[in-house]
Amino acid sequence: MNILAIDTSCDETAVAITRDKQIVSSVVWSQASLHSSFGGVYPSLAQREHKLRIDWVTQKAIKQAGIEPEEIDAIAVTVGLGLAVALEVGINKAKELASKYKLPLIPVSHAESHLLSSLALPSGNMEDKIVSFPALGLVLSGGTTQLVLIKNIGEYELLAQTQDDALGEALDKAARLLGFGYPGGAILEKEARHGNPKAYKLPIPLANDRDKNRFSYSGLKTAFVRLFENINEPSRQDISDLAASFQEAAFEHINKVLEYQILKHKHLGIKNLLFGGGVANNIEIRKKLRKTLNKHSIKLNIPYSKKLLGDNAGMIGVCAYLKNKDKDLSVYLDYQNVDRQPRLGIV
Amino acid sequence: MRIIKEDKSAIDVVVNCLEKGQLVFMATETVYIAAVDATNDLAVKKLIKFKNRPFGKPFSVGVHSREMAMNYVAINQTAEKLYKRFLPGPVTIVSTGKHNLAKGVESESGTLGIRIPDYPFFIAVSKKFNKPITATSANASYQKRPYKLSDITDNISEKQKGLIDLMVDSGELPHNEPSTVIDTTLDDQPVILRQGEIKLKDKNEVLSRSEENTQNVAKELWQKYQDLKGERSIIFALEGKMGAGKTHFVKGLAKAMQIDETVTSPTFDLLVSYKRPQARLELIHIDTWRMINPTDEIDEIGIKSMLKSNSVIAIEWADRILNKLKEYQEDAIVIIVKIDYAKGENDRLISWGVL
Repeated sequence: MNILAIDTSCDETAVAITRDKQIVSSVVWSQASLHSSFGGVYPSLAQREHKLRIDWVTQKAIKQAGIEPEEIDAIAVTVGLGLAVALEVGINKAKELASKYKLPLIPVSHAESHLLSSLALPSGNMEDKIVSFPALGLVLSGGTTQLVLIKNIGEYELLAQTQDDALGEALDKAARLLGFGYPGGAILEKEARHGNPKAYKLPIPLANDRDKNRFSYSGLKTAFVRLFENINEPSRQDISDLAASFQEAAFEHINKVLEYQILKHKHLGIKNLLFGGGVANNIEIRKKLRKTLNKHSIKLNIPYSKKLLGDNAGMIGVCAYLKNKDKDLSVYLDYQNVDRQPRLGIV
Repeated sequence: MRIIKEDKSAIDVVVNCLEKGQLVFMATETVYIAAVDATNDLAVKKLIKFKNRPFGKPFSVGVHSREMAMNYVAINQTAEKLYKRFLPGPVTIVSTGKHNLAKGVESESGTLGIRIPDYPFFIAVSKKFNKPITATSANASYQKRPYKLSDITDNISEKQKGLIDLMVDSGELPHNEPSTVIDTTLDDQPVILRQGEIKLKDKNEVLSRSEENTQNVAKELWQKYQDLKGERSIIFALEGKMGAGKTHFVKGLAKAMQIDETVTSPTFDLLVSYKRPQARLELIHIDTWRMINPTDEIDEIGIKSMLKSNSVIAIEWADRILNKLKEYQEDAIVIIVKIDYAKGENDRLISWGVL
């Protein structure tokens, strides 16, 4: 199944061509690369920018894939979560293409695509990844912090989600407090490598929750601000130690909730965890999770490329395929009512 | 449930009910209150059930004089001055309690808020009954302020209605603010826990001691301004450092607006909207933290059309768009809310003013 997938949920304008689980081409026009000299992106100019770039990005994705538009079987588009005015650009484009080539249009959840992104394969790879269900799924990014039980593709049970900040957001905020530019989380990780994670004692969020079914970062942020303000003229080493200590508490929180949920679902014989979202780039959290997962003989599945961790449309196409491979796509020919769902999560 | 008119003959009826441990609704100079005998464990339990709130949240009590108050609290010098200056009147003064009331009336730390309402019918009842009476507002938690009996009965379940024994109808009260709550146990200085009509400083400022407190302050502000807004939008412009509790404030707003969804930080999505089921009222939650040039960017996310839609808009990191707020002022009521870290670990000073 050849799918042309579009994602304009946030800062990036992304279009990809996928063939079943394979990503044939994936083009991402990122504001981040353009504007990094300003210390960040202009996220709310997204609508205007998306409109300017969507045609070019679409053409490029088709060209790179080396296929003719007539070979495409379906269009897939992100309908949420994201900024409503930005999502709208992708949805309108998708409707236009579906109408032009008389194709079905599959609405897709951005967060669910992150969840399944580790199942995607590089182009030409025929060796399938074997993942058995039920599995666990963890999506950690700037906008999503969710742990779910994947009973099957498309069938999820929410185990924990954030009550306030997303993990990626908390890392960015801690980074800015320490004076780092954009992208904060990535710089924080680099700094933390030179630091001692035990240098400062920060509270692990919700450590007293008996039933560990939620995440929270507001209390940790508060403690971090208080801690930072009490250090007079922090040295370079202090900054590295602070970065490492913040990561330690933030990640240990995820780890504690994960381990609790693993034990709670032990009877299901879970063998896999699918990990997705931008924070999965962080080596430190991978190490931490792997250690916990190894104890319980659960395999950590991470997308084959860094490009699948950030926003991209490849994962959108793969998600659309995985959810519909055995279905009759003609139900998606009636797409006029496909609309934005800015708050759509995994579940 | 029985409803009687407020007149002289009603005094005995009320006292009789209170003596039997019943739940009575009656007026004060601020709002209708839910009154029970504050020395009666069963009566207080009934009240907690009606208010639908967790055990451990204290109730203030109404008495008729300072002398009577001294039976239940230790009045220090700070409190003494406040009693002289403000009571009877719309002020609740918190002192260290004497632990001789029913369980759940004093706070967990043993403090107690005393009211002497400036309302003749209440004073008459109190003199005759001569025991402290709970003086909590007659609405269930996070419901509308009760200025007339229907404000209460329209917003509660049948089960809650069944708990009410007597309502004394005094008609619709003037829409006065609930009492100012002043804590005299914390410091040498009095500290305001809830801001009503009466102020100690020339600005609106309260102390929040927990995340839940901060949410409660949001609810109070919402109740204060929701009538004022009419068909206009209302903007809560939130300022405060990272971790100060801006998102918690918005959680409180959502609760007061009867929105059940979990409110989370909108930093990444920039704008998130919550709709109350079956109502056209919308809460729009915006965050400028991630914007590089917020003055230009804030308009790009479509705020202008929302200003005209009678919505409630909460903007985090609003200090980054101060000049824009002045522009929005033409279409909306803009309330600047500042949340500052204070002395104690969980303490925050929350101040506000209409732009």
